[in-house]
Amino acid sequence: MPEPEHRRRPGAHRLSRRGLLGSGAALGSLGLLAACSNGAGGGEHFQVEGPPRKGGILRVGLTGGSAADTADAHSPVNNGDIARTVNLYDPLLMRDDDYVLRPRLATSFKPNAAATVWTATLRTGVRFSDGSPLEPEDVVYTFKRITDKKDPKVIASGLTMLDDVVKTGPHTVEFRLSEPNSVLDDQIGQYAGGIVPRGYDPKKPIGTGPFVLESFAPGESTVLKPNPHYWGKTGPFVDEVRLLSFNDDDAVINALLSSQVDAVSQIPLALVEVIGSDERMAILNSKTGRWMPFTMRVDRPPFDDVRVRQAFRLVVDRQQMIDQVLSGFGQLGNDMYGILDPAYPKDIPQRTQDIAKAKELLAAAGHGNGLKVELVTAPIQSGVVEAAQVFAQQAKAADIDVSIRRVDSTTFFGDDYLQWDFAQDFWNSRNILGQTVAGTVKDAPFNETHWDNPRFERLAAQARGELDEAKRAKLIRQGQEMLFDEGGYIIWGFANQVDAYQKYVAGMKENATGIPLGGYNFNRVWIGEVS
Amino acid sequence: MSTHILTSDPTGAPPRTSSKPPGVLRRVWAQSEGRVGIVLTAVVVVLAVFGPLLAAPLTGYTPYQFADRPFAHSGVFGTDNLGRSVLARFLDGGRLLLLYSVLATALGMVVGGALGMLAAYARGWLDSVIMRLNDIVLAIPQLVFALLAITVLGPKGWVLVVVIGLTHAPRIARVARSATLRVINEDYIRAAEMYSVPRWRIIGREILPNIAGPLSVEAGLRLTYSIGAIASLSFLGLGMQPPTADWGLMINENRIALSVQPWGVLLSVFAIAVLTIGTNLLADAIARATAQTTVEE
Repeated sequence: MPEPEHRRRPGAHRLSRRGLLGSGAALGSLGLLAACSNGAGGGEHFQVEGPPRKGGILRVGLTGGSAADTADAHSPVNNGDIARTVNLYDPLLMRDDDYVLRPRLATSFKPNAAATVWTATLRTGVRFSDGSPLEPEDVVYTFKRITDKKDPKVIASGLTMLDDVVKTGPHTVEFRLSEPNSVLDDQIGQYAGGIVPRGYDPKKPIGTGPFVLESFAPGESTVLKPNPHYWGKTGPFVDEVRLLSFNDDDAVINALLSSQVDAVSQIPLALVEVIGSDERMAILNSKTGRWMPFTMRVDRPPFDDVRVRQAFRLVVDRQQMIDQVLSGFGQLGNDMYGILDPAYPKDIPQRTQDIAKAKELLAAAGHGNGLKVELVTAPIQSGVVEAAQVFAQQAKAADIDVSIRRVDSTTFFGDDYLQWDFAQDFWNSRNILGQTVAGTVKDAPFNETHWDNPRFERLAAQARGELDEAKRAKLIRQGQEMLFDEGGYIIWGFANQVDAYQKYVAGMKENATGIPLGGYNFNRVWIGEVS
Repeated sequence: MSTHILTSDPTGAPPRTSSKPPGVLRRVWAQSEGRVGIVLTAVVVVLAVFGPLLAAPLTGYTPYQFADRPFAHSGVFGTDNLGRSVLARFLDGGRLLLLYSVLATALGMVVGGALGMLAAYARGWLDSVIMRLNDIVLAIPQLVFALLAITVLGPKGWVLVVVIGLTHAPRIARVARSATLRVINEDYIRAAEMYSVPRWRIIGREILPNIAGPLSVEAGLRLTYSIGAIASLSFLGLGMQPPTADWGLMINENRIALSVQPWGVLLSVFAIAVLTIGTNLLADAIARATAQTTVEE
């Protein structure tokens, strides 16, 4: 079977005349307002090519903010937190638009032969936003703070094998591990691993990122100004970035259409075509490795029978899932995670809907007269509740009666989180081994399918100790094959990240990490001139 | 008003003062508001009852089948947030709302009516206990109480009916009690007591028929509130659960695309509005019709 790729080009699907007229009428009045307030109406053209222009203010609309918003480098939770983190701090390494790890504050990060010691060489001439130089002691301090036993931060779960971080020279730091880890670079190369100076106070955040925090009102707004000591070669070009918090999707989209903001992250996929048809708007459609699986607990009936799990995977019409839930903006899933990982086994045949086979498997498992299950869902991410409904409808064909129990997000992530027999979840782009450590080894912090397989554990441990990429890919493949055959996830697709912005905003690039608006790299964004 | 009703009596007979006044329905129909109320209510009820049968033949899709991409403009009223036919879901979406509203109202009437009559008839300490407990329940806003119960017990059909029904009961009990107090000293009650007819029979046979007027007005009013409450709970995600087709739920699911594909929201809003206005007008008309009886007697 060929590589599973979603062939329909998003946006190729044309709007009907009626749709265009309807949306035009509804949006027209707002457009008029926008033209008045901004002097940049629909018909005008903007100079967004050529060398970036300096100046201007970038206003970004975000949802999901609350009074718990933070500017802490190591505790980002929601969308706004991530935007602040990316722009205020730099990690040692960071993934670029193509999901490849690139040096940031470390110019190199290399393991020893046993993968038990990694050495980071720090970039020279880097200064924090208060003017003090970046030193190895800051890196040591940062990782002490992240792995603080009393208050472990977001990426600490992937750093459990990190014994000590030691300064070994004026520009070098050693990461000493208690067990081999060939993918430590993946685990520290994340936005939540930003380097902070000794004595860091999250209330007065100091970092090396392109911007500094000018003002911050949790749940309302954040103002960022260019960092005068920024070490990077690109930007920042704008004089100011404002992150504005909105309560819901309706509000943030109305703000975009009425030009109260210049860019919004993560628009509802069902509205992409309509917003894109507004000639003032541009759509940023990025393929990512984000996924929204169904999670079956492999240690609880009926899913403790592998035939039931296989049957459930066979009832899914994956293309229909992507069409109905993601409005076509996604890539097919094959019950394995980590599609952006170079080691992702693309040659394993794509699983497709096979109702007859599913019925056969269910009958063999003793459910010949049909099966009734409860699926716990919650609006934890846009599309999750919708996916539950599409699944319930598809499963009917195999006499599986899925009763959907919708709870609120707080309940979902409450005491029963990771304990539901049959539920859903969502994950961002991650490499396979990083994902395995987070979710599919016995003691993983998010082992929601309760996957516990000695052979798989051995493979995962071996792969983490293997520095040879080809050999590691082989081990990963064996593990992925096990998940493909017996795992508890139904991974039907990988959702695109779709954002929208005004056409006068320049420098937005597609980004595979799943971080919105080109990875929130606002240092490369500039405001185009009316031409 | 009374002369208008009397002269519009289709039989043309002189005003009757006998024990058999013209039927309530006829007196409701005689009022223009009553007629509007009946028509509006009937339209939505017919839609809700027969809609589910028509959904598939009319649209070619069941309420659960996927017709197109989400919020597309195919079909008569386009598709919803999952690409299902809005018309099919609209036709299917009123039955449960109506059924639960009627059941909840009926439950409230039975419980509230019984408690009210009992309180009024027993007087003394039982009256005080019932009515003070009533006041306590009344102090809690209805929707807040419903939210609490549904969060604890889960959003199931019977929970909806019981919670909405029971929160109606105290209000109905008050009406039933005051209406009972008005008839309790009538001679026929005294007579029944003299013949030592059992209390429950006096309540059932003598009191109930004589407070039926005010109670039926209350029933109409409570039905309106039930519809509103259940639709609101569904909108909040605590009533009917997906993938059920339901008007309240449809508003929530499709409101994101209000400016693009408004039908998913508008049809449901219209239906709920027409139904509540209809039942409200009907309740008012019944109030006037039954008030007429008491004046005449």
